[in-house]
Amino acid sequence: MATLPQLIEEDISEINRALQELLLKSDASIALLIDKGGFLITQCGDYNAFDTVTLSALSAASFAATQGIAGLVNEINFSSVYQQGEGFSMLVLNVDEYSLLTVIFKSRISVGAVKYFAASTLHELSAQMKIAYERDPENGLDLSMLNMANAAPVFTKKKKKVA
Amino acid sequence: MAIINQATKELQVKIVYYGPALGGKTTNLVQVHDHVQTAQGNKGKLVSLATSSDRTLFFDFLPIEAMAIKGFKTKFQLYTVPGQVIYNTTRQLVLRGVDGIVFVADSQYDKMEENVKSFSNLEENLRSLNLNLPDIPYVVQYNKRDLPSAAPIEYMEFLLNNRDVQVPTFQASANKCDGVFETLNMITRLLLHKFLNESNRNRRAA
Repeated sequence: MATLPQLIEEDISEINRALQELLLKSDASIALLIDKGGFLITQCGDYNAFDTVTLSALSAASFAATQGIAGLVNEINFSSVYQQGEGFSMLVLNVDEYSLLTVIFKSRISVGAVKYFAASTLHELSAQMKIAYERDPENGLDLSMLNMANAAPVFTKKKKKVA
Repeated sequence: MAIINQATKELQVKIVYYGPALGGKTTNLVQVHDHVQTAQGNKGKLVSLATSSDRTLFFDFLPIEAMAIKGFKTKFQLYTVPGQVIYNTTRQLVLRGVDGIVFVADSQYDKMEENVKSFSNLEENLRSLNLNLPDIPYVVQYNKRDLPSAAPIEYMEFLLNNRDVQVPTFQASANKCDGVFETLNMITRLLLHKFLNESNRNRRAA
């Protein structure tokens, strides 16, 4: 399984700029760049109105499921997933080998318009991810600051309340 | 594979709870969700894509943010897979991008065959994603130790942890939250160790 490259500030700001531009042109509510494993990489728009962490996990899973369906109907892949709602709709688009673009937009906005404006965004996103990957393809992790000598557990159980 | 975002100083990792049907994978997540001590806002909703009879259909998902480790916000995403044999395609989807695995075995005597089959299925599914189990940090949890029909630990070790490298195992009664946090903390620790070792190796090679 391919791994995402290490992303630096320059990558994130370039990706955010592309997402903002998409929101501006399409009038969509939020745009998320997510990893195909379900992680949220970065987000733009009115994201406090939604649980974007869960949205990322579920839209990645939904996209992965459609790839399974594509295989069953002899398609190499389906490049997008579209769900139409009464208030909001969702479009998930394939960016590259590692990532997806999820756009949430008001249902009155045409999906065709979102798809049209997203085409150039996809191009910009995949170009930036390629830059990040080529910067240092073998050296994706830099956690030299982690102190593993600290034996404290990461997760602790809540103490029972004494009556 | 884990995501390192240097811009936002975030590390995101994916842990998958795997094992036979009705072994207690979802119960582990429910207990973590109900009992974990976190700062406000650091624990997400537990999302269950389940049937009307509460059997996992696609997966359960729980995002938690752990304390910052040396300046890095560490975000954990805990997933379960559906245990029933027919949902194998779904299990493969959930394993995509996995960083660490908790194998939840059912301690009841009559579940041993299912435990072994599920473990083989895990190895097979990882291979389909070009991954090898020995390369991935994992721990085994022997759940349902409180039941009278529980098999001896030595027997379960022989069946499920009898490889060149033995992994940490934990006895648990997930319905009482016994052993749940011990298991989660060990897999977390193994994961962070692995990342740190890789980081050191990469720096030496550079």
